[in-house]
Amino acid sequence: MSNKDLKNKTIICSVCSGSGLNKRGFACKNCLGLGVCITKYNRFFSWNLKLSKSIIELNHVRIKIYQITKFLSYIIGCCGFIFLALWLFQNYSTNILIEDFYFWNERESFLLIFWLSIIIDMFLIYQISRENKQKRKINFINYKEKFSNIMSPNNWGELKKFNCNFKIDVVSGFEKKTFKAVEEAYMLAYKLGNNKVEPLHLFFVCLQEKEVAAIFSRLNVNAHSLISMIKKQLTKLGQGNDKLILSNEIKETLISSYIEAFDMGQRQVTIKNLLTSSVQNSKVLNEIIYDLDVTVDKIFNVVSWFVANEETIKKYKEYRNIARFKPSSNMDRAYTSVATKVLKNFAYDLTLAARSGKLEFCINREEEITSIFQSIESGYGGIILVGQPGAGKKSIIHGIAQLMVKEDAPSVLQDKRLMEVDLARLIGGTTPEQAETRMLEIIHEVARAGNIILYFKGIDKIVGITSGAEGSLDLASILASAIEKKSIYCFASVSTKSYLDYIEESSLGLVMQKINVREPEGNQLIQIIESKVSYFEAKYKVYFSYSSLEQCIKFSKKYIYDKFFPKKAIDILEMVAVKTSKTKGEQSLVTKKDIASVISNITGIPLTQVTDSESQNLLNLEKKIHNRMIGQEEAVKMISASLRRARTQLREGNRPIANFLFLGPTGVGKTELARTVSEVYFGKEDYMIRIDMSEYQHPDSVKKMIGDVHGTRGYLTEKVKKSPFSLILLDEIEKAHPDILNLFLQVMDDGRLTDGGGRTIDFSSSIIVATSNAGAIYIQEEVKKNTSIEQIKDGLINEHLNKVMRPEFINRFDGVIVFKPLTISNVIEIARLMLGKLEKLLDLKGIKMKISEEGLKKIAQEGFDPKFGARPLRRAIQDLIENKIANKILIGELNRRDTISIDDKMEIQIEKGKEL
Amino acid sequence: MVNSSNSSFLYSIKIVGELFGDFLYFPLWWYSRGFVNHVKTCINFLNNRNRSLSYFVWIKNIFTPMYGQTDFWGRIISFFVRIIVVFFESILMFFWLLVILFIILLWLVAPIYVIYQIIFQLNIIN
Repeated sequence: MSNKDLKNKTIICSVCSGSGLNKRGFACKNCLGLGVCITKYNRFFSWNLKLSKSIIELNHVRIKIYQITKFLSYIIGCCGFIFLALWLFQNYSTNILIEDFYFWNERESFLLIFWLSIIIDMFLIYQISRENKQKRKINFINYKEKFSNIMSPNNWGELKKFNCNFKIDVVSGFEKKTFKAVEEAYMLAYKLGNNKVEPLHLFFVCLQEKEVAAIFSRLNVNAHSLISMIKKQLTKLGQGNDKLILSNEIKETLISSYIEAFDMGQRQVTIKNLLTSSVQNSKVLNEIIYDLDVTVDKIFNVVSWFVANEETIKKYKEYRNIARFKPSSNMDRAYTSVATKVLKNFAYDLTLAARSGKLEFCINREEEITSIFQSIESGYGGIILVGQPGAGKKSIIHGIAQLMVKEDAPSVLQDKRLMEVDLARLIGGTTPEQAETRMLEIIHEVARAGNIILYFKGIDKIVGITSGAEGSLDLASILASAIEKKSIYCFASVSTKSYLDYIEESSLGLVMQKINVREPEGNQLIQIIESKVSYFEAKYKVYFSYSSLEQCIKFSKKYIYDKFFPKKAIDILEMVAVKTSKTKGEQSLVTKKDIASVISNITGIPLTQVTDSESQNLLNLEKKIHNRMIGQEEAVKMISASLRRARTQLREGNRPIANFLFLGPTGVGKTELARTVSEVYFGKEDYMIRIDMSEYQHPDSVKKMIGDVHGTRGYLTEKVKKSPFSLILLDEIEKAHPDILNLFLQVMDDGRLTDGGGRTIDFSSSIIVATSNAGAIYIQEEVKKNTSIEQIKDGLINEHLNKVMRPEFINRFDGVIVFKPLTISNVIEIARLMLGKLEKLLDLKGIKMKISEEGLKKIAQEGFDPKFGARPLRRAIQDLIENKIANKILIGELNRRDTISIDDKMEIQIEKGKEL
Repeated sequence: MVNSSNSSFLYSIKIVGELFGDFLYFPLWWYSRGFVNHVKTCINFLNNRNRSLSYFVWIKNIFTPMYGQTDFWGRIISFFVRIIVVFFESILMFFWLLVILFIILLWLVAPIYVIYQIIFQLNIIN
């Protein structure tokens, strides 16, 4: 015995192993011939229908007979009236007399046919009515039955004792087309000579259906390759001469599809429902679809999308049908209200717009609407919707207007009009006195009319508008007082920030019930978006794949902070639809790539998949970095490896791409490496947020970094918000105040930081590089002693770093990289790079430059200082080379087409170019 | 195989039974479930007429002043206007009621009358 079964539990008969037949071919006595069943919701679901070739053929004959009788009935029915018309025509005389039409008093063969046809007409009515009645439907199980503690059977022995209410034959819920697919699957297995009908047969048959093809096109699956893969597998199925039976897997498939349709609230099992259960019950199918980058979950989600759309269309039709009964004038049904002359100039009738179908259909906002209705019923005269811009406040109000049209609202809202007051017109271009007069007149009119509910969008705009001295009553207080007296009912909406700033403490905040409108998430969000997608599809003639919707939600959540769901995703989908329609043409499919490219354009983050040229770049990252960077092989290797991991998505999703701590003396290339990474990985050196941590030594610096509640924006949070795809360079981190370091603990672990204004900033697309000079002398000394880098690193962390940073902070770094002091050979290479840059600049002026190896070495030696690394080199090149060249250009010794050569003594020689 | 031919035989009997059953059940259905369905459809139609005319709403509000005119003359005028509107609406509703009653009656009488006509046409009765 079981109770509260919420999961599908499959039971296979142990006597007949699920075939439903005993050895002699009769029904198994243990399971009554059912073989396989699933228990759920205190019910026993099974497939009872026996299928055989002859039964299927007989069934086809039955359907044919039915269709023929129906067709004949139509024909005979029509003929009867034709014969009546013929009789009338025959008896038509020039003087039309009413008696000529008294056909019921006449005797005539034509009339006999007419009267006989009436019997057939009546039979046709009977047939149609019976057909509707006999439509297979899913049994409804109410909440109490589903979850009560009734002891329902969960094994064959117990089932036999129970009454038939617990047993559900799933075929009773199968739509005609779905049942036909099952029959076709059987016939396909028969033709192929298989000994069992498998889910594979059923899946193959389903693929021939248009609606299934549409589902796979949404999944961006090539139908031809799918069909050919299944065909290949069908030929591998077992052959036999035994009687063809339904396999246990297909029985499970059919039963699960019924349960799926039941869970989705459908009235019938459609062909779409067979897909997920077929795949779930067939390993081969699972493998096939996996090869095509599809999973069961994805199929299920697309099926849900289609089902939800069908339901929405049904609901909309039902709504349109009821909407025509709503009065279209500004009066209520009983004409007790009063015309509102002033209000008419400042307000827009939402119920009238809803009645004529001008408002978008509100989807999945039942929770908020229910709490609004409950608040109204519990006596609140004003409701204020508080939420982020774009979170769906307007949509909820439109939903209420639609329910008012259907009269499916609390009695206070029945037979009423919902009027949206245009605040811009009410208070714009007028003095506070006039605005106040208008508001008073509107309130007076609404109170008299009695059939109007007001709606103020952005109600914070009326706070503080007063005609008197500071502190006297403002427009908001006037409205609040009317609401309090219950003279009027009123809805309002406001953004979260404005509510906190202006409304919460004001008189309006006290009289109006606050309803939070949260950003939708999960299934609610995806269903809202799916409903909008249909509109874009119709408008721009493109089709969205399911993965593109998922991608849109994922990316807009991660990379767009200043807007909110569902609006931000909807806006992006519209942009993508427009772009795809223009670039790919009409009737094309919007894919994940299209979404990624639009979001990349908006945010500047490369989100598209790794292309061939990019993968080459990534593989040669070390080489590319070394084009700019000399030495520090270990550091470059480590950085390159982590960047490759990041770009191929092989990292934890929420952490920054990488966190590095660069240690080493000054001038060894720490900042230069960070700059190089920024250029190589993000495309530009500009994608680097450099923060000099010596400026953040005071505890108050936290405010400077992340902003505060008074609206001051933080330097770091604002920068990252604007360009989340950046390298954050924290220079000389040991100098920052410990509180600042604590901030970064969270950033490095969770990849997010909440700024002073309460917004969460995502750092998961950033690379964090901290540099430190701590232990620089120690490094130099140890390098001189030829100590290995690993030992130096350990010594540094244990003896030097722990004095300036907490161990948990050091642990957060993916890599602590020690930069070795530069050797003279490194400096020579750096000098070569720097002079290379100078060569390029001179080349722009048409001047060539040559340099001897000996001269290069001497310059390097001049610019090398073991204490300061490569830093003095720049100065040396400036003094020894650049200054001299500049002078020569100024005195006219050096012209276009000339060549400079730097000799072994670092002297500059000029070879004159050819005269033109 | 025994089972297969068995079930095919049973199934074909079921099909034949269904076919003849349809013809036999038809008259019974006409005067039972069919009639109930028909009456329900008619009542639904009448309800929709009432909703679009707001007929009962007007009767309920017969003493409520129109257009918020709560003064004495306002009330008097409203009352008479409402009486006139309700009177015309009643005529319309009565008309629809007659139509509906006629259709319901037609349903009941139709089979008998058609049989009578067929017999009459066949010259069995004069």
